[in-house]
Amino acid sequence: MTERGHETHRRSTTAAHSPARYDPVCGMNLAGLKGLTAVRYHDETHYVCGEGCRIRFEHTPKRFMGTPLIQLREVCKQYRMGIVEAPILRGLDLNIWEGDFVAIIGASGSGKSTLLNMLGLLDVPTSGKIFFNGKNIALLQDDERAEFRSTTFGFVFQQYNLIPWLTAYENALMPLIFARRRTLEPKLKKRFIDVGLGERLHHRPFELSGGEQQRAALVRALANEPTIILGDEPTGNLDSMTGHLILDMLIELNRAQGKTLVIVTHDPSIAERADEIITVQDGRTLRDHRVHRKQYTGA
Amino acid sequence: MLQDFLSLTAKSVRHRPLRSWLTVLGIVLAVMLVVAIFALGSGMQNLLSKTLQMFGSDLIIVYPGKETNPFTSLIGGQRFKESDLMALEHISGVEIVGPADVSSMNVEYNGEKQSTMVHGISWKALRTIFEQSQGARLSEGAWPTQDDSNEVVLGSLSASKLFKTPVRIGDDIIIRSKHMRVAGILASLGNQSDDNSFYLSLSMFHQLSGKGPGAISAFVKAEPGADIAIVSQEIKYQLLQQETVRDFSVITPSRANQLVGSILGIIESALLMIAMMSLVVGAVGIMNTMYTSVLERTKHIGIMKAVGATNDAIMSLFLIESGMIGLIGGLLGVVLGITLAWGIGLLAEGLGIDGLFSFAALDFFAFFVVLIVTFVTGILAGLLPARAAAHMEPAEALRYE
Repeated sequence: MTERGHETHRRSTTAAHSPARYDPVCGMNLAGLKGLTAVRYHDETHYVCGEGCRIRFEHTPKRFMGTPLIQLREVCKQYRMGIVEAPILRGLDLNIWEGDFVAIIGASGSGKSTLLNMLGLLDVPTSGKIFFNGKNIALLQDDERAEFRSTTFGFVFQQYNLIPWLTAYENALMPLIFARRRTLEPKLKKRFIDVGLGERLHHRPFELSGGEQQRAALVRALANEPTIILGDEPTGNLDSMTGHLILDMLIELNRAQGKTLVIVTHDPSIAERADEIITVQDGRTLRDHRVHRKQYTGA
Repeated sequence: MLQDFLSLTAKSVRHRPLRSWLTVLGIVLAVMLVVAIFALGSGMQNLLSKTLQMFGSDLIIVYPGKETNPFTSLIGGQRFKESDLMALEHISGVEIVGPADVSSMNVEYNGEKQSTMVHGISWKALRTIFEQSQGARLSEGAWPTQDDSNEVVLGSLSASKLFKTPVRIGDDIIIRSKHMRVAGILASLGNQSDDNSFYLSLSMFHQLSGKGPGAISAFVKAEPGADIAIVSQEIKYQLLQQETVRDFSVITPSRANQLVGSILGIIESALLMIAMMSLVVGAVGIMNTMYTSVLERTKHIGIMKAVGATNDAIMSLFLIESGMIGLIGGLLGVVLGITLAWGIGLLAEGLGIDGLFSFAALDFFAFFVVLIVTFVTGILAGLLPARAAAHMEPAEALRYE
């Protein structure tokens, strides 16, 4: 579990003199951790949690000196179960960088879905801060959160979560109605055609296959042209072929349109394709979240 | 925006399970009752004033009991002395007094037995009152002149409908085992109870009924041109002198009209009260179904919030929905209420009472007001459930299965 300095890199060292508190890339709190990797940029030494972050940092150091799109600091979340307070997130720190495809992995009950809800403002932290482009949004009022959700985030769920009594088209129209942006309606129709549901607009969810429902849900997520797409196991209920199709669509949005994509998943083939993998365990991120051969290619 | 919300709501209302519609029944019943009352009320009023007009504007009726409660006179069994009543003829302005009594008796014609209402009143008084005050004539036969002859006059319906074979003049009818000759048959008086009655002289009535002497009431006809209010005051004054009947009433047509109107008013307001209670029950029903619906749709509320619905938007959706349910209940109630009134109207027509219900007399503005009331009731009933829905935390709502 502890990361030892990689022998192929000269700057590998123990954190002898007090390191910067947070990993500039993944954002995790490094206090008290041993065997950190040091990186240098503009004559300054920074410490990262492991090999993955080091590679990403060295590739585009300037980027990671800036402000992350979303930054979580010391985020705690407890649920009251009867009289017992059950902690789900225990002081989680995390950076999400604009344009990244981030996979969040972890065992059941590790808190990864709760983390995603925090990112998408579906839930309020018990304590801690959530910055969006540097602005703390953890304590926004209900209505401000609703507006944020509608314009900034698009959600894709494992269960598709379409409203059963509305047609595919009406489901996708809902975000536009709530955001009072029906002017975007022509684009909606085009997107349905793009995802291959041009003939299925007026079918209700129960008349659609799982893959079709998830595509409709994807169109709904994109209705307000959000900058961030959040997926909670979006392929979890689909067979592998359909799952890949949906995943390809999501990745295409990330690559071609630069939308930030954050996906909670169990599926290694999804994690395999992500720019960044965040591993959650017991309500915190783990260091040394494995990096892939595919590296960040810049946007 | 509103239009979008309305269409979203309309779709979700259609999706509701049948059982949630059952809770609207309260509203439907309330509105049905109100509408039926509205629809029949005016007809009833018209009908009554028409009947009272027909009764003759120069007639005064005297009967025992307080005027506000005409039923006590029938139960109480207090009877005026005939002489006390006849003495009223001395009052200036009084043309004729007819002490009267009424009873249900068994009658037999051609071996066929029936029961019918039999009125006893002196031939002279009856003839004068019928011919001069009510414009009624005999369609056949002639008025008897002797109060002690065995003769009977029949209302038009009792002659034509009571027995299998219509009764003709000169036929023999047995009333309480006494043979009577049919002397005359009245033309229709246009009111069921009079047309279905038999008429005897009071003295013959006494012999047959076994009730003993005296009279339960009296018909007084005022002279043409006499002030009926003053005449009735004097009758009242004079009757206060006699001691057989302590409580009695002297009723003029205009007074009767007022009385009937106020009785109708009481009945209407009692029914309206029931309708109001039923409306409250209906509102609670809607509240109940909305709470259930908030629970059932917790997940959908979470979804809508995830795609950007504000608390206000969720609240509006639920309020519109509960209002719409109220409105639908109201609409159903109006339709059923009109149908009910129409059915009652048809039934009444079958019994010979015309004009109780007519579509032309329906007050559509009142129905419009009723619908607004049910819409507002629905919205009020939905207030608390809608608040509960609006304040759900989206993440928690989404977890709900």
